[in-house]
Amino acid sequence: MIRRFMPVIVCVLLAPSLTFAAPNPRLLLPEFGALADKASESVTITLDPSMLAMAGRFLDSNDPQDAATQEVIKGLQGIYVRSYTFDQDYFYKQSDIDAVRKQLSAPGWNRLMETRSRKTHANVEIYIMTEGNKAIGLALIASEPREFTIVNIIGSIDLQKLHKLEGQFGVPKLDLDATKAPALNKQK
Amino acid sequence: MKDDLETELRQALRPVAPSEGFEERLLARVTAERSSPPKPSRLKWRRSPATRWLSAGLAASILAAVGIQHHLHAQREREIGLEARRQVIEALRVTEEKLELAYRVVKDQSSSVSDEKPGV
Amino acid sequence: MSLDEQLAKARAGDLAAFGDLVRAHKRSVYSLALRMLGRRDLAEDMAQEVFMQLHGKLQSIESSAHLAFWLRKVTAHRAIDQLRRRPPVEMTSLNDEAQLVSTVDGSDPLLQRQLRQLVLNLSPPARAVVMLRYQEDLDPLEIAKTLDMPVNTVKSHLKRSLETMRQEILGQVETRREGHST
Repeated sequence: MIRRFMPVIVCVLLAPSLTFAAPNPRLLLPEFGALADKASESVTITLDPSMLAMAGRFLDSNDPQDAATQEVIKGLQGIYVRSYTFDQDYFYKQSDIDAVRKQLSAPGWNRLMETRSRKTHANVEIYIMTEGNKAIGLALIASEPREFTIVNIIGSIDLQKLHKLEGQFGVPKLDLDATKAPALNKQK
Repeated sequence: MKDDLETELRQALRPVAPSEGFEERLLARVTAERSSPPKPSRLKWRRSPATRWLSAGLAASILAAVGIQHHLHAQREREIGLEARRQVIEALRVTEEKLELAYRVVKDQSSSVSDEKPGV
Repeated sequence: MSLDEQLAKARAGDLAAFGDLVRAHKRSVYSLALRMLGRRDLAEDMAQEVFMQLHGKLQSIESSAHLAFWLRKVTAHRAIDQLRRRPPVEMTSLNDEAQLVSTVDGSDPLLQRQLRQLVLNLSPPARAVVMLRYQEDLDPLEIAKTLDMPVNTVKSHLKRSLETMRQEILGQVETRREGHST
């Protein structure tokens, strides 16, 4: 009798772990306190849902830049940024970033692209977490000899809307169709 | 090259004067504004002076108690909101900058691949 | 009479003192508006409005340094707002350019005209950042305070704008060289 119901028993026992195995787009980002002290410039941003809602109230919908920003952050639950610039090459260690990179090998994360430049030694990786057809998380790791940046965005990201912000922040417009991912660099 | 460009920019953007008569036109407007009669206040005090002062004092006390607190709270909320707005803009700027970096790397690689192809 | 003394007198209602303040700052305000908007008539109108607004706000201006900050801030914000509402800026005509040409010996008027046009091609916020840096000689932190913008955004605007302008100029130099060699 028990054998007949074994599959059901197994499912019931596993159900809690199955429920709690839902992928979480939120990365555990170190504070990098010691590095921040040595950086010539640092950006540390932690915006949870309440701060994003607060920001949304103070974005002016009559201003095109603010209105476009409002559109981007509409479906978001969090934006987290750690970015550090140094006066010397490779003042930071790869192991500083590896702890974050390791989390991106967890189920749910898909690497959208990775590019490496032999000329400038710049390396950019972009990861997406999806639920059905919707992106629910984005992670970006960019490392250059004197700078590294980690961005983690939680929520429903619309790359088209993000694309519309190009040219607004001192960054020139990309010549890139946001509906297509750039070609993957297969060097790794 | 950067220093030359910046020097040239400084020279190109040296301040220039507006047309002749700019100040005169402006001061004429200011004079006209000063001499136009002030708009009458809509408020009409119907009460006697004593009652007026008592009401004003009472109103001022209540306002002082409630209004200042509200004002401070609103001010603090505004500061936080504006700071949150700045941080959102900064976060999206950083994201865009790194997306652009990825694009440049891809673009450089595809142009160096096409350079290596014979006959191109 | 120092600017602070003129300011005190202007606050007290002295029209001549207000006129002195206008004279001291009109080039800066007008030029900022001109290089943001690209047209003399619009720049003059805006400069007039800024000084009219100043006249109404004199009591809140605390010092000559505050006055300079206030004028830059109001002019830059008004210009950015106007550019966002209006269609793209027209090129200044050659007649207008006659007034804009630098008279400094040894300068290249053609290059400077190109640079002014390249500045007009920048987005309004980037344009304001470049103007405050190279006309008003403000540092990035001061620019950030004036424009209510994060300082890293200011630095990014400066870096990208200079890169864009440099590439444009180098591109034009190459085109001219090719034209001469053919």
